[in-house]
Amino acid sequence: MKYRITHSTLYKYSQLVGLCQNEARLQPRDFWRQQCQSSRFDISPEPNDFHERRDFFGNRVAYFAIQQAHQRLVVTAVSEVTIFPRQSRDDLVNLITWEQVRDQLQGGPGQSQMQSQSQSQYQQQNHYDELLDAKLFLLDSPMVITSAELANYAQSSFLPNRPLVQVVTDLMQRIHVDFTYDPSSTTIATPLSDVLQFRRGVCQDFAHLAIGCLRSLGIAARYVSGYVETQPMPGKQRLVGADASHAWFAVYVPGTGWLEFDPTNNAVPFDQHITLAWGRDYTDVTPLKGIAFGGGRHTLSVSVDVLRLE
Amino acid sequence: MNESTGDIDAQFYATQLGVYDEMLAKEHKVLPYWQRFMDAIATLGSEQLELRRREAQRLLRENGVTYNVYGDAQKLTRPWRLDPVPLLISSEDWSLIEAGLKQRAELLNLILKDIYGKQQLLKKGLLPSELVLAHDGFLHPCVGALPHLQRQLIVYSANLARGHNGRMLVLDDRSQAPSGAGYALENRTVMARVLPDIFRETQVHRLSGFFKALRKGLADISPHNKEDPRIVILTPGSLNETYFEHAYLSSYLGFSLVQGDDLTVRDGRVWLKSLDGLQPVDVILRRVDDSFCDPLELRSASRLGVAGLLEAVRRNNVAIANPLGSSVLENPGLLAFLPRLSRYFLNQELMLPSVATWWCGQRRERDFVLQNLDRLVIKPINRSSGSYVLFGGLLSTREKELLRAAIIAKPHCYVGQEHISFSTVPSFIDHHIEPRFAVIRSFAVAGGDDYQVMPGGLTRIARQQDDFIVSNQAGGISKDTWVLADEPDKQVSLWFQPGRDVVLSADTEPLTSRAANNLFWVGRYLERIKAATRLMRTILLKLAEAPELNDPLDSRCLDVLLSALTQVTGTYPGFVASNASALKEPQNELLALAKNVQRSGTLAANIQAFAQTAFSIRDVWSQDTWRCVDNIQRRWQQRVVNGDCDPEQLQKHLDDLITGFVAFIGLTTESMTREAGWLMLDSGRRLEHALALIALLRATVVQRHEPALQNQLLEAVLISTDSLSIYRRRYRSFIKLPMVLELLLMDKTHPRSLAYQLHQLSDHIGALPRERGKGQLSEEERLILRAYTDLRLVKVSELVNVTDNVGVYSELESVLSAMTELLWRLYEVLAQAYFSHSQVPQLMTPTQPEDDL
Repeated sequence: MKYRITHSTLYKYSQLVGLCQNEARLQPRDFWRQQCQSSRFDISPEPNDFHERRDFFGNRVAYFAIQQAHQRLVVTAVSEVTIFPRQSRDDLVNLITWEQVRDQLQGGPGQSQMQSQSQSQYQQQNHYDELLDAKLFLLDSPMVITSAELANYAQSSFLPNRPLVQVVTDLMQRIHVDFTYDPSSTTIATPLSDVLQFRRGVCQDFAHLAIGCLRSLGIAARYVSGYVETQPMPGKQRLVGADASHAWFAVYVPGTGWLEFDPTNNAVPFDQHITLAWGRDYTDVTPLKGIAFGGGRHTLSVSVDVLRLE
Repeated sequence: MNESTGDIDAQFYATQLGVYDEMLAKEHKVLPYWQRFMDAIATLGSEQLELRRREAQRLLRENGVTYNVYGDAQKLTRPWRLDPVPLLISSEDWSLIEAGLKQRAELLNLILKDIYGKQQLLKKGLLPSELVLAHDGFLHPCVGALPHLQRQLIVYSANLARGHNGRMLVLDDRSQAPSGAGYALENRTVMARVLPDIFRETQVHRLSGFFKALRKGLADISPHNKEDPRIVILTPGSLNETYFEHAYLSSYLGFSLVQGDDLTVRDGRVWLKSLDGLQPVDVILRRVDDSFCDPLELRSASRLGVAGLLEAVRRNNVAIANPLGSSVLENPGLLAFLPRLSRYFLNQELMLPSVATWWCGQRRERDFVLQNLDRLVIKPINRSSGSYVLFGGLLSTREKELLRAAIIAKPHCYVGQEHISFSTVPSFIDHHIEPRFAVIRSFAVAGGDDYQVMPGGLTRIARQQDDFIVSNQAGGISKDTWVLADEPDKQVSLWFQPGRDVVLSADTEPLTSRAANNLFWVGRYLERIKAATRLMRTILLKLAEAPELNDPLDSRCLDVLLSALTQVTGTYPGFVASNASALKEPQNELLALAKNVQRSGTLAANIQAFAQTAFSIRDVWSQDTWRCVDNIQRRWQQRVVNGDCDPEQLQKHLDDLITGFVAFIGLTTESMTREAGWLMLDSGRRLEHALALIALLRATVVQRHEPALQNQLLEAVLISTDSLSIYRRRYRSFIKLPMVLELLLMDKTHPRSLAYQLHQLSDHIGALPRERGKGQLSEEERLILRAYTDLRLVKVSELVNVTDNVGVYSELESVLSAMTELLWRLYEVLAQAYFSHSQVPQLMTPTQPEDDL
């Protein structure tokens, strides 16, 4: 499956901005089920300084600065991405229980219970490194603080000796059923405890919620930012630019890797989810952020277009 | 030795059982080097020592050595307290401590390098990953951003205390922006002055070598211009608890003191915004916590940092000491792993052990801590997480249960530590020598192949005998730390000595826009206060001369002056209120104008603003000048604001106030070079002086009065502008309006005149640095030229023409009001051109969540 994504952000200011510095995580990263063929920026006014790098999580980041006075800033990223529909259905019948996963994540290198005699030393080291990476996603992060309330909500999915994949699938379904999708209910800053109390939110909140539930019970989970392809309503024409950013989460399953789940759509991402970046939570992968000097009040508009090419 | 001095002799010193004492040591016998010192102070006697203590306090106070206490409603600074009895450390003892500190600094440096580099410690399981990754000091954007230097940890500090067995222990390590070295230096300076003989006779290691090494260590890490790098000290500002030290070190070391606003990142480099334009910055000695340093990549709400700083670091365009992310070492959980890491990295045992620490992230350690809560000190690994150090034994059952639950929920976030009893050290408390628990803060700086340790440090003692909380926030007392030398130490000059007889270009540090703005406002506040003071003094004099106000002329003159005071100070309604009750009993309102700090425009409020503005640029003032500022503010506070003062005493305090400001002006005029800084200070003065003079004239003589009243008013105006004697000398005649206007408006040679202010202002503005257009005047030059020319073209005779029956000199009024508007416009233009750092940064992240499906 091949897509072209056009993500455009427009800032308008009431006064001149003398200098702005920005960080964009708008270029899709490569991983086992996705390859980004091309990704280019179109920024106006043209930045004086532009640098690309990888961040701590391996995401693509572009730093750019505009040093001349401006009252309007447009940042457009156009990317072409191939999605391999490879998320194996076998992974979803993975039988490792959540308790086993929790215990493995708790041990340090050398204490892992997954040490099989048949594994080579190289494989073992690989396994340690993977576990080590996963352990970061067990810990509290700026927007996801584990708590007794989260553990409490999660509890009924965590039946004893249940395979982790089933636990997470169940949790995803419950969130989908228990929570109302409501863009007016939350802002970026709404704490998880409010989402849990009022049972409303948007994709970010649901992803954070699921991550918080999993981490509260010792399971490593990470936040994924990206897009999802939408189908026009039957009989309606496809609207260009009417798509949006999306967010979901992934869970670490030892031996298998990271499996993704989309609680907003109660679906397992397969070939319609395009990944931009992942991190501990939204703060690690904010698609575009910046600091502007001056400018007075500003307005912001975003348009996203996900076009299937083949 | 007479009886009255006997009480500070060592033999009366009562230590506690089971506590190690610095003077008595293991054998419980006064150590010989302590004996010599104690004999010397016993010879002085307790009274003399108390005098010396007070003298030290006075010097510290006058040098502006303060420690700001957070949460203090009145923003008061707490004077730094110094005990005249230093902590003595023998040279053998010190060489062990020194070696231990070097080893520890080296070890922590290697750990830092690994955490932000290859992370072998985590991969090999030598450090549990959650211990490092769950610490707030671990900043993942900084991974891979360390420069390629031999050492990453540039400045290091440790708090040391001796345990009951006499062994020196490290309580905690300071790795991000250690404070205290400047206080240690100031303590030393003061001690050498108040106990000169004893200091000279005791061979004490000097501190200046450390600061020389610090300077060199910082220059060495510069990515560019290693020969002559621009180094700045980044401070959070004058409200920070150790701001004194930031200002002190910046003047001592010759580095610019800057706030985040003073810096900007362009083209991936860091620049200092100065009056002369952007100046490149090579090295930043930071006193801002690392997560606050870059709002783009780190804590986005921070106003203390510089957006893009981390990007500049990544491109190796600036070096920061210590590097961003180094607070990851300030994790008490690390203490438990240091012995193992020392063997791993250095193949050595740790020379200076840490206080025994159990990190709860391991099951066995957690269980031990939970079983021994009563005996342990519990700390969260993150200082910001709300809870703080808890003494298990002091908790109630309920508190203990809560703590237990918190530890079980997130065990990796807690450590338990042994509750050690520190050693005591002789201290001079209430005229006696008494033992007090002591903690020593020591300092090291990277240089060459090694760390250089300050031979000395900052010792702090608890105020109360049994108090273990030794901190400045809790009101502790500091001590100088004397490391004894085997032979006399040579004084090391801090000054850089050029190898050959080269003449270095005499470049002064550029003036930051923020400092320029503050200097300008110091000048404005000063003149604002002077104008109000002189007018108030004139009024009080009138009141004193004719207390009964039997003569209606006196009474009407006073009314005009009182309402002029309200207008000049902008303290409406005051004396211009519609019900003129204040006029009948003016004393209360007059006292309020002197005393009320809360009301804007009063003397008290302006004096406070003057002192605070001056404090925020503490580094630009000489010692004497600062003493002058401090005296002005402190005396007014003591005598008028907090004092019980009547109008008669107020008169005297106003005189003193004027004298204080005259001293300040004299000192600045004499000690400041005629560069941008002085131009800004004096421009602020001239502008405000002009505005205040115009306001006074508009409030008094624009209104037409009968000749007798006008005469009285003109005399009062001349007195209030300090111009009466010159008027008399010059005109030798009655006081007439045209001549008064001639003198106060037009006379270029009279330093109190408007013409003089504008002339000076014009010169200053012409001398300010700017990009020169070809023959084009800048906007501010244009405005001051217009103002000055307009004034010069005025014909005084026309000003006092009476053309109608409106009761005012309308031509005078229109000239004065047009002048006021021009001057206000001039200020705006100046601010735009020179203080434009005030552009407020804003965050451009979306505030609404991403739309989704």
